[in-house]
Amino acid sequence: MKLPSTLGRHAAKAFLSLLLVSAVTVLMNSMRDRFSTAIIALIFLLSVVLSTTLWGMWVGIFSSFAAFLEFNYFFFPPYYSFAVGRTEDIIVLVVFLAVAMVISNLVGREQKRYEEVQARERDATHLYELSIALTGLKEEKEIANVLVGHLIEIFQAARVEVVIQDADGKESIKVSLPKEAPALFGLYLTRFPLNTHRGDLGEIQLWTQKPGLSTLELHLLQTIASQAALSIERVYLSKAETRAKILEESDQLKTALLSSVSHDLRTPLASIEASATTLFNPQVNLEPEARVELQTILVEETEHLNQLVGNLLNMSRIESGVLKLQRNWNSLSEIVEAAFNRMRRQSRGFILENEISDDLPLIPLDSVLMEQVLINLISNSLKYAPKGSQICIEAHQADTDWVEVTLTNYGPHIPAEYLDHIFDKFYSFPNQVRVSGTGLGLSICKGIVEAHGGMIWVANLAEGIAFHMKLPIRSEGFQPSKPLKDLEI
Amino acid sequence: MNTAPRILVIDDEYQIQRAMRTILTQEKYQVFTASTGEEGLALAYASQPDVIILDLGLPDTDGIDVCRRLREWSLAPIIILSVRDSEADKIGALDQGADDYLTKPFSFDELLAHVRVALRHNAQSRGAKTNIIQAGRISIDLANHTVARDGESVKLTATEYKLLAYLASNAGRVLTHKAILTHVWGYADFREMEYLRVYVLQLRRKLEENPRKPQMIITESGVGYRFVA
Repeated sequence: MKLPSTLGRHAAKAFLSLLLVSAVTVLMNSMRDRFSTAIIALIFLLSVVLSTTLWGMWVGIFSSFAAFLEFNYFFFPPYYSFAVGRTEDIIVLVVFLAVAMVISNLVGREQKRYEEVQARERDATHLYELSIALTGLKEEKEIANVLVGHLIEIFQAARVEVVIQDADGKESIKVSLPKEAPALFGLYLTRFPLNTHRGDLGEIQLWTQKPGLSTLELHLLQTIASQAALSIERVYLSKAETRAKILEESDQLKTALLSSVSHDLRTPLASIEASATTLFNPQVNLEPEARVELQTILVEETEHLNQLVGNLLNMSRIESGVLKLQRNWNSLSEIVEAAFNRMRRQSRGFILENEISDDLPLIPLDSVLMEQVLINLISNSLKYAPKGSQICIEAHQADTDWVEVTLTNYGPHIPAEYLDHIFDKFYSFPNQVRVSGTGLGLSICKGIVEAHGGMIWVANLAEGIAFHMKLPIRSEGFQPSKPLKDLEI
Repeated sequence: MNTAPRILVIDDEYQIQRAMRTILTQEKYQVFTASTGEEGLALAYASQPDVIILDLGLPDTDGIDVCRRLREWSLAPIIILSVRDSEADKIGALDQGADDYLTKPFSFDELLAHVRVALRHNAQSRGAKTNIIQAGRISIDLANHTVARDGESVKLTATEYKLLAYLASNAGRVLTHKAILTHVWGYADFREMEYLRVYVLQLRRKLEENPRKPQMIITESGVGYRFVA
C-alpha cells in the first residue's frame, strides 16, 4: 500500500478537525437557548484542545480559526453572518481566538515534546539493542549482517546496504536487505561513512521513501555508524592479535623443533658414531660381547633415528594442515598386530597384549597413521613403564557411534595437573626424569586422532596409566559396518 | 658359467647401491647396478635378471613408468624400494606389475627375505604351473577347487575360495586392494573394501593356526594382502 503524501495526510487531519468543530456547532445550535455564550465558547475550546491533542499543533491552530469563524457565524448577532454587531461581542470573539490559539500552541508543543521524548527513548532502545548485538562478533560479515538488520528496522528503509573493508583491506564485504534489490526508482538515498581515526572502514547506504532524513534521524545514524565502526575496529585488532599469536607460536615451535632436533637427533647419532668408529678401530681389541653390544647399539639407534624423523615429518604435516587421511574400512586388531610387529625389537623384555575382541566392527581409519598412533603410545609406554611389565590394548564399541580404545601400561602416575598437557607439543612435565624423545610423539597421536574426528586423553589407574581413544564408527562416505552374520558367508 | 641368481638394482643413491652390492654379493648373488631408469631398462634387457630391485624416486623417469615398461617383456619379479608414507606410489607400481615392496630404511634380514621370496616366486612362474599349493598344513588344489588341512577337507564358500585361490596363485606377491577387488568381485569399488576385509577375516578364522597372528594371509598396511606359502 502506498502511503498518502505528507500534504495529503495534513489535509485529511485538517478536514477531520473541521468536522469535529462543525459537529460542536450543530450540537450547540440545537441547544442554543439553554446555554450561554460563555458555555458555548468553552465547548468550542474543548474541541480545539481535542484536535490539537489528536492531530498536532498546526491542525490545532487551524481548528482554532475554524471554531472562531463558526462561533462568530452561528452564535453572534446578527446570526448567520460573519458581521458582528456589538463591540463586546468583538472582544469576546478576539479573546476566544487568542485563547484557542494559545491553548492549541501549548498543547501542541507539549505533544511534540512528548513525541520527541518517545523518539529518543526508541532511539536509545535501538542503540542499546544494536550494541548488545554487536558485542562479541568476530567477523566483519557478522557485523554487516547485524547492522543491516537493525538499520532496516530503525529507519523503516526500503533498502539498506552495508559495505565493510575486511581486516587486510583486500576485500570488501557487502551485505544488503532485502536480498533481491527492489526498484530503487523514486527512493531517496542517504550514504553515511563508517570511519574511525584509521580512515574509512566502509559505508552505509539507506534508501527511504521520504526525501532525506530528519536531523534527529541523522544523529541516530551517526551514532549507529560510529558504534559499528568501533566494532569493526575491534574485529581488526583481535584478528591482528590472533595473527601475531600464531606467528609467535610457530616461532616457538621452530625454536623448540631446532633444540629438539639438535638434542634428540644428535644423541642417537653420537652413539652410532661412537660404536661404529670403535668397531672399526684396529687398535681396539674388542671382546666378542662388547662387539655384539656395539653392533646392537648401531641397529637400535638407527631405528630410533628413523622413528624420530618419521615423527618430525608427521608433526610438520599436521602443523601445516596437509595431513590427508586415506580412510578405509580397517580391522583395529590387524593394525595393533602390525604396530606390535614393528615394535618387536624395541619392546623386547615387555609383554605386549592385544585384547581386542573379534566382534569389534571395522572402523574407517587411515591404517598407516593409526599404526603410527599406536607405535607412539607403545613407545611412550616403553620409556616410562618398568621393564618386564605388560602393555595391553583393548577396544570395545562404546555406543552406536563410537569405538573406545584403551592402552594400559604400568608406568608411573601422571600428576593430575599435567594430565591435560601431556598431549601438548614438546611437553615433558617438570621434575620428570629426562627420557630421550622429542616430546612430539603424543602430540602427533592427538593430531592424528583428531583428524579422524576422535579424541584422546590419559588417566591414572590404581596401578599404571591408561591412554583412552574414542574413534567414530561413521564418517563421511562410510556407513557403519553390517554385522558379519548378515553377510552371505 | 656362473649360475648364481642375477639381481639388478636400479637406484640413484650411491650408498644404497654400494650397500646392496656388498650384501647381495656376500650372499653369492650376481649383482648389476644402474643409476637411472633408462640405464636400468637397458641393463635389464642385457643381463636378464632373476629379480629386479627398483627405487621409485629415480632422477630421470618415474619409477612406476619403469615398472610398466619392464613388464612389457619381462616376467622377473620386481621389488620396489620406497619411503614410508608414499602408499599411493607403492600401490601405483604394484598395479603396474611390481610384485613386492620394501620400505626404506630396511634391514639386511628384510632385504634378503624379500629377495628369496621373489626368487622362489620366479621359479614357480617359470616352472610347470603347479596345481597344488602348500602353505603349512593347508593345501590348495587349484585344479579340483578344494582346500584341505592335513588332508582333511575345509569347507569354503564360493567367494572365499575365489579369493583364496587368487591370493595363493600369486604367492609371495603383494596384491593391492584394487587388484583383489577387480579379480574376485569383478570391479574395484572401494565401498566393497569392507567385504574384502570381512572375507579375509573369515578365511583366516578357517585356515590360520592363530587368526590374530596370521602366517598365511598377511596384511600389507594401507596397500593390500600377500599370501605366504
